[in-house]
Amino acid sequence: MEFLLDGFVQAIILLVHLDPETYSAIRATLWSSSAAMAVSLVLGLPAGFWLGYHNFYGKHALRTVVDTLLSLPTVLVGLIVYAFISRQGPLGEMGLLFTLPGIAVGQAILAWPVVVALTATAVESMDRQLSITLRSLGADRRQLLLSTLWEARFGILAAGVTAYGRVMTEVGISMMVGGNIKWATRTMTTAIALETNKGMFATGVALGLVLLAIAFAVNVSLSFLRRQVR
Amino acid sequence: MSSGKPPIFRIEALQQHYGGRRALFVPHLEIAPGAIVGLMGPNGSGKSTLLRLLGFIEKPSSGLIHFKGRTAAPFDPRIRSRVTLLPQDPYLMNRSVFDNVAYGIKLRGAGSDSVQRVHRALAAVGLAPAQFARRPWFALSGGEAQRVALAARLALEPEVLLMDEPTASVDAESAERIRRAALAARDQWGTTLIVASHDWSWLFEVCDAVWHLYAGTVFPAGTRTFFPGPWEQAGEGAWRRRLADGQWLIAPAGTDPSAPAYIESQKLILSRAPMVEGSRVVLKGTVLRQALIRRTGKVVVTVGIGELTLTAVLAPETLRNEGMAPGDGIFVTYAPEDVSWIDSS
Repeated sequence: MEFLLDGFVQAIILLVHLDPETYSAIRATLWSSSAAMAVSLVLGLPAGFWLGYHNFYGKHALRTVVDTLLSLPTVLVGLIVYAFISRQGPLGEMGLLFTLPGIAVGQAILAWPVVVALTATAVESMDRQLSITLRSLGADRRQLLLSTLWEARFGILAAGVTAYGRVMTEVGISMMVGGNIKWATRTMTTAIALETNKGMFATGVALGLVLLAIAFAVNVSLSFLRRQVR
Repeated sequence: MSSGKPPIFRIEALQQHYGGRRALFVPHLEIAPGAIVGLMGPNGSGKSTLLRLLGFIEKPSSGLIHFKGRTAAPFDPRIRSRVTLLPQDPYLMNRSVFDNVAYGIKLRGAGSDSVQRVHRALAAVGLAPAQFARRPWFALSGGEAQRVALAARLALEPEVLLMDEPTASVDAESAERIRRAALAARDQWGTTLIVASHDWSWLFEVCDAVWHLYAGTVFPAGTRTFFPGPWEQAGEGAWRRRLADGQWLIAPAGTDPSAPAYIESQKLILSRAPMVEGSRVVLKGTVLRQALIRRTGKVVVTVGIGELTLTAVLAPETLRNEGMAPGDGIFVTYAPEDVSWIDSS
């Protein structure tokens, strides 16, 4: 198990020496996962609010479907997105296959149910009096949505962190849709998979630790943000 | 409630159902602008439902509410921030006291005087702006939180202020501040006040009219005592109900033995000695409390009999002559034919 220690040392060397290959993978990871998060938040927050705020026939069934999508296998998403954006697929002309935007599309699909389900839970758990208060102070429908999301911001932040973690650490979509192209679509996770295949366990561990460090940095900045918006 | 001006609210055939159960039915009611209307009634009688409907927080199952002569519905721009409700457990948003009070003004598009308005509203409820404006929402006592919530409504200078038990869970000082601030709004801006309360000083000292609610039915004007069912046969044409202390209520036979009945307070006769008068019903109870109805000069007296609390309205001289004080034993006499049934269909 010496490779664990080797990996730790190597992780520090890679980061300190600004290893270009590692930084290219970090950039690819951050780019695709951030773009995916932006899309899934824009589409997921209103949907989560709607699902959590309103009572309607079939809500329970819909919640079950969304909750099931939380365990969406990444390889399945990768497969479906691949089928859509490959040259023969219906969206083939967009040229998304083996690109970072292509990975981001798949990762957004992965993150969307996480954002929807956790936002719905956060909104559902808000005091019933919140809605009465906002409306009695003159909020229209849009202001009601925005103010409720703002009140539920800590729960929604948790939703964002969870989704970000899932997106940043997935390997199935990045590998299938991105193709693991060096200097282009090679992300941290696909790089780790490759190094492991090559038997370079220490490098794999090093990259894994770098990924963990990025996750740590993201969480630290979010908890800083959380203190700011109190 | 005729004051010459057109009513600020006119309710027609208003019904609200929750899960198939009728929570409220108001055939027709009008409220004059600038009036102070008290709503009294036990928990679950429909007070909060009526307030939420008048506050356009929820849609009625059927019927109409006209606001200043025109039908209005939730999210109607005409009523937004003109009609505001202070719920029983007000919610303070996770932000400072200032931002809580300023929220409604900002929604409307803050004017240049918004800071002054927030400070004025805080001062009106007895909270010094310098001391409270920057406090976070969690650094307030229950009474202070209630007053901040009221200040948020007052900052809107509303035409209608609906309050649901505004003084139920606050100390005496907060209760007095809330009462004064609401009355000042009426004096300053002609705000119509509609208040659900168990607080007698609200209902009998402040309100122009008190509506009694029971089992989802509104009884405008006058106080009443309600006799809940179930009833049983007591000879021909009469029903009776046994009270916890073994005494019997008698009422003319109705249609539904589980229905509640009521008697108007003026129909109850209170005396220190039992009255024996033909077919009248005489019950023995204890005087619980008394309050002056400021606008009529009469006195409300409640009497505990078994599990019931009866409300009678007496002239002050009767009270003096009979010498009734809380704790005294008292006889309540009424004629069974004065008991009416609530149609719960």
